[in-house]
Amino acid sequence: MKVLKVPARTIAVFVLPCLLLYVCLVFIPILVSVYTGLLKWDGLSAATFIGLGNFKDMFVNDPVFWPSVKRTLLYAVASMVEIPLCLLMAILLNRYLRRGNTLVSIYFTPVILSVVIIGQLWKTVYNPTSMGGMLNGVLVSLGLESWTHNWLTEPQIAMYALYFVSLWQYFGYHLLIQYTGVQNIPDELYEAAKIDGADGFKADRYITLPLIVPIFKISIVLAFIGSLQAFDLVMVMTAGGPAHATDVISTHMYNSSFGSFKYGYGSAIATFLVVVCLVFTGVINMIFNRIDRKFN
Amino acid sequence: MVKRNMQKSLAIGFSALMALSLAACGNSGNNANDSAATNAPKSTNSTNSGGNAAEPATDSGKKVTITFQNIYPDPATPSHKMINELTEQYMKDHPNVTIELDTLNTDQQKVKLKTQAASKEVPDITIVNPAAQMKPFVDAGLFAPLNDVLDQNGLKDTYQEGLLDYYSFDGNVYALPDGNNIEVVYYNKELFEQAGIANTPTTFEEMLQDVKILKEKGITPLAIGEKDSWTGSFLFMNILLRTNGGPGFLQDVLSGKKTFEDPAFIEAVDAFQQLVQAGAFPDGATSIDANAGGNIFKSGKAAMWVIGSWETGAIDASSVAGKVGAFQFPTVNGKGNPNEFMLAPGSAFAISANSEHLAETKDFLNFFASNLPKKQFELKNAVGLGQKVDGDLKAAGYSDLAVNIAGLFNQVQGGDLAFDNTMNPATAQVHLSSIQNLFVQKVDSAAVAKEHQQAFEANKE
Repeated sequence: MKVLKVPARTIAVFVLPCLLLYVCLVFIPILVSVYTGLLKWDGLSAATFIGLGNFKDMFVNDPVFWPSVKRTLLYAVASMVEIPLCLLMAILLNRYLRRGNTLVSIYFTPVILSVVIIGQLWKTVYNPTSMGGMLNGVLVSLGLESWTHNWLTEPQIAMYALYFVSLWQYFGYHLLIQYTGVQNIPDELYEAAKIDGADGFKADRYITLPLIVPIFKISIVLAFIGSLQAFDLVMVMTAGGPAHATDVISTHMYNSSFGSFKYGYGSAIATFLVVVCLVFTGVINMIFNRIDRKFN
Repeated sequence: MVKRNMQKSLAIGFSALMALSLAACGNSGNNANDSAATNAPKSTNSTNSGGNAAEPATDSGKKVTITFQNIYPDPATPSHKMINELTEQYMKDHPNVTIELDTLNTDQQKVKLKTQAASKEVPDITIVNPAAQMKPFVDAGLFAPLNDVLDQNGLKDTYQEGLLDYYSFDGNVYALPDGNNIEVVYYNKELFEQAGIANTPTTFEEMLQDVKILKEKGITPLAIGEKDSWTGSFLFMNILLRTNGGPGFLQDVLSGKKTFEDPAFIEAVDAFQQLVQAGAFPDGATSIDANAGGNIFKSGKAAMWVIGSWETGAIDASSVAGKVGAFQFPTVNGKGNPNEFMLAPGSAFAISANSEHLAETKDFLNFFASNLPKKQFELKNAVGLGQKVDGDLKAAGYSDLAVNIAGLFNQVQGGDLAFDNTMNPATAQVHLSSIQNLFVQKVDSAAVAKEHQQAFEANKE
């Protein structure tokens, strides 16, 4: 701060509006919802304070809760597994194409489409054969009738069908991030390595990977948190059905709050979600700090 | 080269991020709106408050915008035309009033209203369902009593005897119903003929038989859109009305005389599962929303549709008009009286107690409710109307189907309200997803009963 030669008071003046806004829009609502989670409340009439009753219900009595947590975490894992693929793709694009930008922009298109559109689009792809579903149509024309499914309504399959759409949509997003990261590594390093005899994948192993770690971390965190909060796609495509088979934490929270009029209970689930997000962000950061230290 | 590349990809990155954040803003919390818009374009959306500026300065009243939340999204249906024509007419007569239609699907509207209610921001006029579904809102004091609206222009006398009771609490009427309907089985005569079925089924066994015959011919036997889970529940409750040998099962559960583990309930679940196992419903029914489910029947792809008589006008306006008849839901295992129906005393228009323009809104609703019967009659949608209307259906050129349905109305000897109109919301949610589950897997019927009973006990007040 001394370097800047700006009095602390000035800094405060400039930081304050943003800080206030952040506190009002993020911290206070979170605290309110933590408090609401301690109430038995239908959202309309008077509330009664029941302490940790909602949390007890959630952890012990709710048959939907743990499966939905499992599905959410699986969602997160699936979207993190995608990132190395994006990185590989980015490296290949960077190496073999002189103008990768066009291609990257094309891959990026699904990201700018509204999730509602994506959902409706994929619903028609997944539709049963009798309703002209594209995927089943293709399978039938290939003579693979036995492979056809009601993708969105068979409880064992539906969730994976949703994962796939999500991975498809965000592939371009993470590819763009990785691609930008790869491009920002100075060419001189590769040239020097080439002289020393390191080329191709060897160069990637010793130059690209260590230098891309911070960018990689950004993608992982974004993918992880994004999928923990997954909501819109599930809502549009299955609304958590059939019979909770595709419920994730956030849709379960939504259904409890607005379907069953259990506002307090919904807030308890929301609180759980916030805690999970915070804990996992912390864990991911820790892991990457270790990796960083190892490389440097 | 490297540097330019970098700049370029950074530029892409930034513009992408901007687009993303814009998209994110547009998305948050507006899901209901978005999907409603994709499902059915709102034709009157352009008439928002911005249009007021162009109006002549001669009108003396203050400028008022009334938000009218409604559930008539499908432009092909008479109800959609009705609400648009009536609001336009009122706006023409009252240049200072703008009526903004907030048009949604039924399930979306339910959720949106609950969200709005939680923050005490109920639209000026909204739609509610009778009895138990409406009670939490009334208890929270969100709706204005409408007794004065009913007294104006003799509106009260137009409603059928007893209909307003479903919307009355402590002697006050809180909402005005848009109709009074019963659940019937619509069937496509042409498809029945194709399958060689001569008579409509009068027993559940015959119905199952017909389902199998239709299925063999490659015709979807029963249309349904079970993503909106009330549709399956409505059908299930009709079976329960039969296996229970008459109405009042849920009331008996509420008063403690019966439990959900009663044989009548288990028998109903069994019968319902027989329908599912026989392949009565379209593939992937649980991912089809209610409108799309109805369109399977209305486009002539399904042979039967078990739904409320409110669809009569819409069927007559569809491509299967003239080919459709209706019959009572059959007896199940020899039990029940076919003349007892699932009753649907409409959805109803309620006014927010906190409306900023209470007087204007009430005046509009009086106009709307008074003119609704006449307009519906004109639009050939007078079947299942909750209000008396002058005119003979046949003479006015109504279809045979409409006359057929009107005949069924005359046979009504009582019945039940839908599950979610009788039980509290938390129990109803468990019920809805429990029935939805029957569509996708075979379940032990006793376990379904037990799940219901547990949910009922856990959520009892």
